[in-house]
Order: sequence, then C-alpha cells, then structure tokens
Amino acid sequence: MHLKKSLLIAIALGIAAITAWELYWRSKGYQPGLEETKDLWAVQREKVENSGKKDVLLLGDSRLLFDIQLNDWERETGTRPIQLATPGTTPLPAFHDIVKNTDYSGNIVISVTPIVFFSTTNPHAEFWHRIQSRVDYYKKRTLANQLNHFLDIPLQQNLAFLANDEELWADDLDLKTLLRNIQVGDRLEGMKMPPFYRFQEIEIDRNLKMTERTATDTSFANTVKNVWGFYGQQAASGPPPDKESVLSFFLSDLSEFKSRGGNVILVRCPSSGLLREVESKMMPRTEFYDILVEAADVPAYHFEDYEQLNQFYCPEWSHLSAQDASTFSTELARILIKDQVINN
Amino acid sequence: MLFNSLSFVLFLTIVLILYYAPLLNWTNKKRMLLLSSYVFYGMWNPPLIILLWISTMVDWTAGNQLNQEERPAVRKMWLLLSMFVNLGFLAFFKYGDFLLENFIALANAAGFEYQPYKMDIILPMGISFYTFQTMSYTIDMYNKKIKPARTFLDFALYVTFFPQLVAGPIVRAKDLITQFYEPKKASQNQFIWGLFLLTLGLFQKVVLADVLLAGTSDSVFSPGQTLSFLDAWTGTLAFSGQIFFDFAGYSTCAIGIALMLGIILPDNFMYPYASLGFSDLWKRWHISLSSWLKDYLYIPLGGNRHGITRMYAALMITMLLGGLWHGAAWTFIVWGGLHGIYLILERLQKQYLPFKITKWNGIFLAFTTFTCVNITWVFFRAREFETAWSMIKSMFFLNPEGAKILPTFQMIQVLTLITLLFLTHWGMRNTNVKEVASKMSPALLGVGWAVMIFLILIAQGTGEQFIYFQF
Repeated sequence: MHLKKSLLIAIALGIAAITAWELYWRSKGYQPGLEETKDLWAVQREKVENSGKKDVLLLGDSRLLFDIQLNDWERETGTRPIQLATPGTTPLPAFHDIVKNTDYSGNIVISVTPIVFFSTTNPHAEFWHRIQSRVDYYKKRTLANQLNHFLDIPLQQNLAFLANDEELWADDLDLKTLLRNIQVGDRLEGMKMPPFYRFQEIEIDRNLKMTERTATDTSFANTVKNVWGFYGQQAASGPPPDKESVLSFFLSDLSEFKSRGGNVILVRCPSSGLLREVESKMMPRTEFYDILVEAADVPAYHFEDYEQLNQFYCPEWSHLSAQDASTFSTELARILIKDQVINN
Repeated sequence: MLFNSLSFVLFLTIVLILYYAPLLNWTNKKRMLLLSSYVFYGMWNPPLIILLWISTMVDWTAGNQLNQEERPAVRKMWLLLSMFVNLGFLAFFKYGDFLLENFIALANAAGFEYQPYKMDIILPMGISFYTFQTMSYTIDMYNKKIKPARTFLDFALYVTFFPQLVAGPIVRAKDLITQFYEPKKASQNQFIWGLFLLTLGLFQKVVLADVLLAGTSDSVFSPGQTLSFLDAWTGTLAFSGQIFFDFAGYSTCAIGIALMLGIILPDNFMYPYASLGFSDLWKRWHISLSSWLKDYLYIPLGGNRHGITRMYAALMITMLLGGLWHGAAWTFIVWGGLHGIYLILERLQKQYLPFKITKWNGIFLAFTTFTCVNITWVFFRAREFETAWSMIKSMFFLNPEGAKILPTFQMIQVLTLITLLFLTHWGMRNTNVKEVASKMSPALLGVGWAVMIFLILIAQGTGEQFIYFQF
C-alpha cells in the first residue's frame, strides 16, 4: 500500500477543499464571528463568583441582551455589566441560581418581557429549560469543555464557514443545517416555522448587537417578524401565563436576595408595531407588570414611562438597532444614576 | 476528553511528539503514556481518577497474590476481593439509583411508604469498560491462563491506556500487557494507516452518526407521541445506524490512535448488520464484550456442557446481564432478553429446521436478522416502556392514525444511508477495510480520505458525547 502517497493527496485536497469552502462563503457575504453559546455564557457566569457590591448583572431574555450595550453602560457608570441575558428565556432560573449558589449581593438588572417573564415555572417548558440547561452546564462543565472553548474561539474569529449557533439559524453553515434546508416534498401537517435568519453579532463578553442589515433592510427584518408571528400563534394555542406561580417563585428568591443586601432593578425594554399591540392585549400592563412591580417593591423602569426611553422603533418589533440600543443604554444608565439606584 | 474535540487534537499532538521525540527511553515513554492517560480521563472529572487507581491497585495486588499463592481457599479469596471491589464500584456508581428506585417501588407495592432522597450518583465515564478489563486480568490469573504483568507500570498502563480506556475495545491482558514489554514504534505505514482509521472513525461519529442520523432518532424517540408506520421505522433505522457508527466509530478511532503509537488493538466490529443469524451477530458486534461475556459468564455458568436446558438458561442469563451491563434500566434488560430469545430460537431452528445458507438465501437471512435486531433497538433507545410500546405498535401497523413528524428529505436521507450501510456490510462480510484499501489506487484512497476530512470539518460537530460513554 502506498499510504504516504494517499496521505499527501488527502492533505492537499483537504486543504484545497476547505479553503475553497471558506472563500465561497465569504463571497456570499459571510464574515467570521463568534456564536452565542453556552460556553460564552458560562465564562460570564463564572465572573459572578468574584463580583462585588458595585457590579451589575444583566438577567433575562433577548431584549436585555440586544438593548443594553456594555460599552455605553460602562462609559456612564464606570462598571462593565456581566451579560447573562439569554434569548427566549425567563430570568427566573438564572436568578434562582445566583441567589442560591453564590453570595453575590450587588446589582441585578432583570428584564421583564411579560410574555416570557410570566410564562411558566415548568422546568420542561422551553423558556425555562433553555436557561436552566446553561445553569446546569456551568455547574457540570469539564476541564475539557473549557479547553475546547478556549481553542474554539480563535477559529470562530477567523473562519467564516464556522457558523453553527445554538439558536439553529437557518443560515448557519454546518452540514446538518445545510441538509435541513433542503426541501423535498411536503409530508408534514400543521404550522411550519418560517426560516429564522441570524440578525445579531456577539462579542467575547456577550455584548450583542443587531446587525446593520436587520436595521436597514425591511424585507430582511420582515423575515424575523414572521418568526415572532409563528411564535405568537404557538403561544395562543399553548398554556396560559402562570402568573401566580411565577410571582411566588420570583418573590421568594427576591426576598432572600434583598435580605443579604442585594439590589434588583426591573426593566421593561421597548417593543413596537403589531408585537407591542399583541403584548398589550394579551398581557395588559396593569394585570402583569404593575402587579409585579408592586409586589417586588424594587426600582422598576418601563420604557413607556420615560420620554428618553420611549423614542425608539424596533426594526423587527422586538429589539433595538445597535445605534438605538447604544442610546437606550446611555439613557437608562443616566436615569438609574440620577435615581441613585446605582452609583457611578 | 472526547476524540471528536479540539482539546483531543492538541492532546494527541503533544503525546505523539513526546512519544517520538528522542527524549525518553521506553520506560519513560510508558510513564508518559500513563500520565497522559490520567490527564485524558481527568479532563472530564479529576477526582474520579481515584477509582481507576483503586481498581488498578486492587487487581495488581490480587494478581500478584494469585501468582504466588497455591492454597485454593486463599486464591479464591483474592479473586472474590477483586470481584467485590470492581463489581462493587459498578453496583454503587452505575446501579445505585436503579437499585434504590426498584427497592422503593417494591416497598411501596408492599404497602410501606418509603421515599428516601435520590442519591444522584455521578456515573464515572467508562467504568463498565475498565472494570471488566481489570477483572479479566484477575480471573485469568486465577485460572492460571496468564502470567502476571512484569511491572506495576505495565499493569497500570494496561488498565488506563487512553485510546481504549472509556469505551473499549475491552482488551485482554495477554493481548495488551505483553505489547508494553518491548519498545514500540509505529512503522511509517502503520502510523499513516492509524491516522486513516482515526479519520474514518471520526467520519463515522461526526458525520454519519451525529449529523445524518442522530436528529431523526432523537425526534422519533421523544416521549409522548404516537407515530405513523413510516416515521417509527425510519427513526428506529436511524438509531440502528447511529449506534453502529457512534460505537464502531469510537473503536475505529481507538484502534487507529493505538496503531499510531505502534500498539495493536483487536477489532471490535466486523460488519454486524450483515450477520447471518444472531450467533453470527454476536461474533461481529462489540466483539470484545461478547467474547468477555462468553468466557467469563456463559462458560462458567455451564455453557453447553450440561445439557440443553442448562445451556438455554446460561444463554438467557448471559444476555440479560449483557443487557444490564449497557445501562441501569429495565428497557436494557428487555433488550438483552430479546437477544437471548433470538439466540435460543436460532439454536432450536438449527436443531429442528436446519437449512443450508447459500448466496441466494444469505442476503434474505441477513435482512431478516437486521430487521429483528432493529426491533430490539427500540427497547435499547426508548427511555420508558410507554415510548417503546408505542413505537413497536406503530412499526406493526397498530397505530394507523400515527403522526407524521419527519420531513420527506430527512426520511430519504436516513433510508438511503441505512440501505447503503446494509449493502456495505453485506459486501464487506468476508473482508475488511485494509484489504479493500490495499486493492484501491493510492490516488482514489487519498481522494476518499480528503472527502472524509472535508465533511468532518464542515460538519462542525459540537462535540457530541459517544453513546457508549454512558455505559
């Protein structure tokens, strides 16, 4: 067997093929970038262990993740927040983890997007399971997991074809997604999820921004709106909000956190268009947000109550563009400082 | 550490550099391999290395005592000590929760309200493999089939050798320890062939198992659904392919990595899905476990030396325990039981309805065997009996209103791959990869190799754990 010859051919062809693959996707507009993964989250979560009174944690769903820009917040307050908000999740499991498993007693900003916040305490529900799995991963990750992440980062930052996010975007470039996108025939019944394309860019410390394309290309933004529409239809046929259980669970942890000197700030981030109308109709402020604020007895900021926070239009109805997020973060930080909720 | 991870690429590169650099003599190379093996294991959970050390120390001591001791009662005591420690570890770490659950169920059924806290015992990776491996050493020493390892280093490396530590092949002492006695170095051809096998194993795991089959199998075996005939069969076939590619992929990687170090490990899979009956299947599927069960369980239970009834009983007990070895759940026991029944029926057929296997009926027999094996996989994969029964009913047309959940292309993907898998196994029944590769032109082999590398890279596997790590 002339294995040496075979090996040389394999190496040469392998390098040529993967180079061509990389160039092809770059020619299609893909650029190298990080993925929003459980490993990035775990690295931030680890920072909480050594955080103090003046630090700020951000917990909740994607609105807080898109809308708070860490650079702007840091510029205003002098403190760079630890970004732990995660798309499509309730803040309850992460807050519970911080309260029960750490002695952190600084500031926590919690996002209150009613449709997510009041959804459930069922551990099998997607909004809950998604963040709980990250909490569990943080506790169970191995040295090998940490080393893999460390080695993976420079590859993600330099190779465009490495696009394989945990969100399972329709425009990911891993083989499984490429095959999943092939449609032959149509044997399935019922609603089908529209394609959900990546509309974000994330940095190493989970500072996340909406892509320029989403902010400027309305037809692209419409593809994201279609996905919200699909989720809305699903939610309409799903279980109703579980307000009582959620309040009971949250207030119990909140009481414990406050008793050790911790400071919680509730924030309702902006939404727009039809989504905002649906949210207001399905979960009226007076029946959900206001009840929570009254029961929690902590500083709370609803974008509708502040002129400087109520000036934005979300391109895809749910999140702010990078530029608006920068302004929103600055204005919110200034309000918090002015109210002496946090110090600079 | 997983073979399909970046950390392993770094780890293996460092090990190979240290192994082949002219820095260390053979003894120090073995020390380096032993230390590397502990690092390999400890990167998952460092404290559990202590279990490996205990198992190593106990069987090293027992082996030496068995070598020196002539008094039968004392020899038996050393054997029992080894079995008590190794099986004790298995009983506690692997079956502790299962035993407790069943005890609670029994107590509750008898009218006693008993609800202790769940123990949530962590399952040490690969414990079933390395305990069986060390036990085989002590049992062989007891039976005076082998000589003791020359040094503690040789024995410790035998227990811990990283390529096969966590998922086999379960190697016998006579096949591995003796290889550590003399300096080993892979020839150029061995090294490149080892690299090829590593690529082939990763391709099986990352591309075929994880990308092409795992998603279908996971969707279909999710609890709480009633599926159509086609979906149930497609999902079961997907799992059938997934578990083969996952496990055979691991074994192929292990054999390849060892070969790159100049160490030869035995084959663990020989195209099992083209087996002509079930006794043939168990000579081709997870060969190192089935031969272990035969030598250390079936034969000591009497084998075929004490009449038909005893033989069937031994066969059934062996297969039931073989099922339990795979996991602490009744579904695994049923899986083992079904294989036991198949083996008994096959022996009855050979006794009362013998027929000659020709090239014409062979493929039909292989297909029938494959179909029956698929039915057993349902119990192996399902986490609960409800899911398994629902799947079985769907596969036998008993759920006419079952839901369609798999997209058309996914079904085409799975059915095409499984058809190719079956035909490949049939075509490769009497040969092996090396023989086929040696008949290929080097250029064609190189192109095939490059395609596998390319597909592994674009698969962008997220480091899915090998299924057999949990066993």
